[in-house]
Amino acid sequence: MSTVIIGLFEGVESAAGASRALQALSLPAGSVTTISAVPLPEGAVVTDPAPIRFPRIVIAGWFLGAAAGLALTLATYLLYPLVTGGKTIVSIPPTLIITYEVAMLGALLATLFGGGREMRLLRFPPKVVHDPRIHDGKIALCVLVDGEGQAFRVTSIMKAAGGTDVRAEEGEL
Amino acid sequence: MKHTWAMAIDLDRCTGCGACVVACNAENNIPVIGEAEAAKSRLMHWIRVNRYWEGEFPEAQAIYLPIPCMQCERAPCELVCPVYATYHNEDGLNAMVYNRCIGTRYCANNCPYSVRVFNWYDYKWEKPLDEQLSPDLTVRSRGVMEKCTFCIQRIRRAKEAAAEEGRGIRDGDVVPACVQTCPPGAMVFGDLADPHSEITRKLKDPRRFRLMEHLGTEPRVVYLKRQKGAGR
Amino acid sequence: MSAEAPRAGTDHLARTDEAAMFERLSRSNLVTTWRWYLGVGVAGAVLLWGVIVFMYMALVGMGVTGYNRPVFWGLYEASLVFWIGLSHSGTLISAILRLTHATWRAPVLRGAEAMTAFTLMVGGLIPIVHLGRNWRVYYALPYPSSRELWPNMRSPLMWDAMAITTYLLGSLTFLYVGMIPDLALLRDKSAGWRRKFYSALSLGFRGTHAQWRRYHVASTLFAILIIPIAVSVHSIVSWDFAMAKVPGWHSTIFAPYFVVGAIFSGIAGVVIVMAILRKAFRLESALTPLHFDNLGKLLCTMTLLWGYFYFTEFLTVWYNRNPEEWEVFSSYGGHYLPLFLTMLICNFVIPFPMLCLKRVRRSVPLILIPAVSIVIGMYAERLLIVIPSLARRNDPFIWANYFPTWVEFSVMAGAAAMFVLLYMLFAKFFPIMAISEIKERLFHTTDRKIGGATVESIAQVEGEEEARA
Repeated sequence: MSTVIIGLFEGVESAAGASRALQALSLPAGSVTTISAVPLPEGAVVTDPAPIRFPRIVIAGWFLGAAAGLALTLATYLLYPLVTGGKTIVSIPPTLIITYEVAMLGALLATLFGGGREMRLLRFPPKVVHDPRIHDGKIALCVLVDGEGQAFRVTSIMKAAGGTDVRAEEGEL
Repeated sequence: MKHTWAMAIDLDRCTGCGACVVACNAENNIPVIGEAEAAKSRLMHWIRVNRYWEGEFPEAQAIYLPIPCMQCERAPCELVCPVYATYHNEDGLNAMVYNRCIGTRYCANNCPYSVRVFNWYDYKWEKPLDEQLSPDLTVRSRGVMEKCTFCIQRIRRAKEAAAEEGRGIRDGDVVPACVQTCPPGAMVFGDLADPHSEITRKLKDPRRFRLMEHLGTEPRVVYLKRQKGAGR
Repeated sequence: MSAEAPRAGTDHLARTDEAAMFERLSRSNLVTTWRWYLGVGVAGAVLLWGVIVFMYMALVGMGVTGYNRPVFWGLYEASLVFWIGLSHSGTLISAILRLTHATWRAPVLRGAEAMTAFTLMVGGLIPIVHLGRNWRVYYALPYPSSRELWPNMRSPLMWDAMAITTYLLGSLTFLYVGMIPDLALLRDKSAGWRRKFYSALSLGFRGTHAQWRRYHVASTLFAILIIPIAVSVHSIVSWDFAMAKVPGWHSTIFAPYFVVGAIFSGIAGVVIVMAILRKAFRLESALTPLHFDNLGKLLCTMTLLWGYFYFTEFLTVWYNRNPEEWEVFSSYGGHYLPLFLTMLICNFVIPFPMLCLKRVRRSVPLILIPAVSIVIGMYAERLLIVIPSLARRNDPFIWANYFPTWVEFSVMAGAAAMFVLLYMLFAKFFPIMAISEIKERLFHTTDRKIGGATVESIAQVEGEEEARA
C-alpha cells in the first residue's frame, strides 16, 4: 500500500503551477498525475510517460476475428457439403462478407477489453485514490511519495501553490 | 446409378382440366384450405394450371400452362435458405427437408415461378378424411414451406423395388401422380440419363422451350409449344 | 464558484457552476414525475399486448396475418428494414462528428447513441417474429447438434445475422464506453443503491490523466470501427432483397440506396427524440436551436441524396422498360398510388423546402414537421420496396394484393412500444446528456477578442504534437 499526497486546485492554471513547482523535487516519471472531470491536454499539468499500446491489440483482434470468420464459413461449407443453387461448395463472396463482419467484431471486442485493461479499470484491490469534488470544477493533483520526508516536502509545495485539503491517503495512483 | 429426372409437358395436348392438380393433392397430403383462404391467395397446390387469355371476345382464347416445380439446376430457392432446408440432391432434384424449415419464406420469394407454398395454419383432416393420407410422406406443420417434389416417394419406391430385384430403374417405373392422371397424356416423366427413355426422345422435339429461361435457373421441366393450325 | 482574479483566456467551464449544470442536465435521473410512470405504463401495456398477439400468431400460424402467395414478405420485413435504418442515427452523429471534431455534437451524442442501441434491439427481434416456426430459430446457429447440419452461409439472412449481431454489440459497446465518465460522475454524486449501481457500471473510472488519454484513444477507435460496420449492416440488409430474383429488387443500387435511406431516417429520428427530451427534461440550455439547425442542415442534405437515389432507380427502369420491372413500377401509379404519393410527399415535397429555411431549422416545433414527415415517408418507402415487387412479380397469374391484419399491426405496435419503453428506462437510470463531453467542450471554449468583436474560440486538442509547450 503506497502513500499518495492528494490536493485540490481551483483550475488548470493553479494545478499547473503546483506541478511546475513539484518538478524541483525530481520525482520519478509517472508519480504525479491529475484526476479531473474533463481530459486535460498532454503537458498542461502533467505528462503521461507510458506509451499507449492497446491499438496493437485492436489490430491483432481484427486479424483474429477475420481468421475466426474464415474458419466458421469454411467449416460450415466443408463439414456439410450440400449443393445449393448450383454454386460451388466453397463460395467466395459470402465467405468475404462473413469474414469481414467477424473481423470487425474482433476488433471491437479487442478495443473494449484492451482499452479497458490499459485504462486500469476494475483494479483489485480497489483501493485507489479519488476525490468526488472534481465534479465541482476542482482538479485533484496526486503525487506518489516514498517516505515521510518526501511526503512533507510535497505537501508544503502543494499548499504553497494554492492547493486546498492537501492530505495523505493510502492507495494506488 | 445417377439419375437425371425431368418432365415434359405438351401444351398441344393440355386441355386445362386440372386433373393433375387433384391427383397431386391426393398423393401428397396437401390440405384443402377452403374458399375463404383461397380468396386470400393461399392455395396450396403443388402443381397449378395457369390460365392466360389471348385476344378479345369473341375470339378470346385460353392458354393453359401447368406449372409444377421446375426442379431448377441452378435453383435460386436453394441458395437463400439460411438453414439448408432445401438443397440439390444427387438425382438433380430440388429436395425439401420439412423438419429443418424455420419458415423465413425467402425461398418462396426467390422462386420466379412461384411454385412454393406455405403452411399458414395447422391443417386438419377430420375423420374419416384422415384415412386418405398417404403414409409415404409427412403432413407438414404450420410455418413450413412445401412444393412439388416430382413425387420423390414414388421415386424411392421404384428405387427400392429395383434394388430388390437387382436391376436398374426402367423407363416407366417412376410415374408421378400428375403424369399418371393426365387424361390427354400431356405429361411425360423420366430419366434423362437413360438414352432410350421417352423423355429423352421428347426433349429432341423442336417445339421445346423452358419457362423464364433468361433468368438462368436451368429448369428441368420442358414445355412443348402449342401448334397453331386450322380451327385453333 | 470561487471568485478569482480573471485569468487570461478564461475558459467557459471555469465560469460555469458545475454543480448546477449537473442538476440541470441530469434532471431525467434525479426527478421522476407521474408523467414518466404513465409513459412507462402505457408503453409497457402496448408491449404486453404485442407479445400476447405474437404468441397467438406463433400458436395458430402465420395465416392470421395478411401474408399470401406471392407476397410472402410484408409489414414485418419492411419494419425490420425501417428499424435497422433508424439505428444509423447514433452512428452518424457520434462517430462521424467525433472523427471530424464537430464540437456541437456534445449534447446530442448520448440520446442518438441510445436510439441506435434500442432501435437495433427492436430490429434484431423482428427476424424472430417473422419466422413461420419461431421456436426453431436456433437452427440458424452453427453449433454441433445431432441434426448434423449447420446453417447456409450463402444465404443473405445469415449475413444479416452476423452483421446485426456485430452492429448491436458494437453500438452497445460504443454507448456504454461513451457513458463511463458520466457514470463515474453519477457514482460520485449519488448515494445508496444508486451509488452501488453506478459504481459497478463505471468500472472504477476516476479521470486520471493516463485514463483520459487511453479513453480518448479507445473512443476514437470505436468511432473508426463503428462506421464501416454500420455501412456494411444496412448494405447486407439491402442484399436480402437485392440478391433475389424479384423484379424491382434485383438492383445493384440497393446497398448505397438503403444506407442513405437509413441515415436519412436516422437523423430525422434523432431530431424527434432530441425535441422530446428537450421538452420532457427541460434541456433547453443544452439542446439549443443551433443543434437543431445543424441537424436540419444534415437532414436537408440527406433529403436531396435520397431523392437523387430514388430518381436514379426510377430513371433506369423507366428508360429500359424491362417488362417484369415495368409491371412493378406501373403498380406504383395504380394500386399502390396512395403509398407512393405518401412517400414522395413526406420524403421530399414537405421536408426539402422547409429544411432550406433557417427559420424552420432553428425552431424546435417547426423542424419537427419535416422530421415526423420523413419518418412516415421512409416507412412508406420500405413498404413500397417490399410489397409491390412481390405483388406484381414474374408470373401474372398469381398476382395478389396484400394488406396487414390486426395481428401484424399489434405486433409492430408492440415493437414500437418496446423502443419507447427501453428509451424511457434508459433516460431514467442512465445519463441522457453526455455531461463530460459538454464540460470538455466548455473547457476548450474561450472568448477571443478580434478587433471590436468578441467571438467564441474552441481549442482543438488532438494528439501529442499540439500539446508540447
